[in-house]
Amino acid sequence: MILTGAAITRAVERGEIVIDPFEPAQVNPNSYNYRLGSEIFRVTPREDPRAGVRQEQLEPTGGRYLLRRNQLYLGHTAERIGSTRYVTSLIGRSSIGRLGLFVQLSADLGHRGAVHRWTLELLPVLDIYLYPGQILGQVSFWATTGEALPYRGWYGRHDVPMPSKLLPSELHRHADRDVTVPRARDAET
Amino acid sequence: MILSGREIQKRIESADITCTPFDPDLINPNSIDLTLGESLLRYRDDVIDPRVEPEVTEITIPPDGLVLDAMSFSLGASREIVGSTEFVPMVHAKSSTARAGLFVHVTADLIDIGSVGTVTFQLFATLPLRVFPGMRIGQMTFWKPQGEIELYSGKYQGSKGPRKSEIYRDRYWETWEGLPS
Repeated sequence: MILTGAAITRAVERGEIVIDPFEPAQVNPNSYNYRLGSEIFRVTPREDPRAGVRQEQLEPTGGRYLLRRNQLYLGHTAERIGSTRYVTSLIGRSSIGRLGLFVQLSADLGHRGAVHRWTLELLPVLDIYLYPGQILGQVSFWATTGEALPYRGWYGRHDVPMPSKLLPSELHRHADRDVTVPRARDAET
Repeated sequence: MILSGREIQKRIESADITCTPFDPDLINPNSIDLTLGESLLRYRDDVIDPRVEPEVTEITIPPDGLVLDAMSFSLGASREIVGSTEFVPMVHAKSSTARAGLFVHVTADLIDIGSVGTVTFQLFATLPLRVFPGMRIGQMTFWKPQGEIELYSGKYQGSKGPRKSEIYRDRYWETWEGLPS
């Protein structure tokens, strides 16, 4: 079952859902609006695809970023989001989808127990300006059945946009330095 | 929990779910098909600025169809007015649509409970594809919520035909204090 806005608010108050910072005005009938975080990286291939990708941080101009169509970027949510009790799903707002901006690429499902700033896979199909702090998408929370397995994932330990582990990247070598939160707490069983 | 097709039909008959016009032939084992209306919108701006009202061109799909170019983006709408005050709707492509390389939404599948209107399809074609008015382009599922229900009353309520993004109306930056450092 999917949680209503009132149920999300109550779960945040009880500590079963983490949304930090939490703004009651960003609660929807059955989801919560997250904001775009401050850092965006452009992901480009290297000449030898086996050497992985290059991930360069963009500099904002006049407080905004220009994203080019058909180019992949990684961004992140401004908020730390997750739950030890519910399953989080992350998508865009319809106002953003209507502008042709993918905020993830068919990977909406989070793991229960991972609490962090989520990496966003930003793929515009039209050239678009983005403003850090603008409302970009929404997270919904789903009740589970069955015994919970603890989350032991790697991406969930990071609060900055992390490149794919499938691709060699200099960021992975320094990954430990980027850890800004302790390992996500194991799910309660 | 997701509603079965039979339950969707029952809930349409008891008005917990709206689907107008309703054709029982559109019911699937666990969803209802949505058909494409004849109107499309395309943005004219060189660069989209979410803080500025975008300009669009309206196009009518002729009865013999219109080709969406590869990597093109258009907004379309369902002919059906759909929504629910009891269940959370989600929009999906038909698998036949997806197999032809067409996205019907751009990571925005979730609909607010209480939102009733035509669905705006975010049509991103990865291959050239001819689309026709009335074709079964998408489908909608309905999910049971947990918790007290507050109904949607947002800016897209009561949509008739495709609606461009109205994110520019949310002038949050005028009062918002900024990201925490």
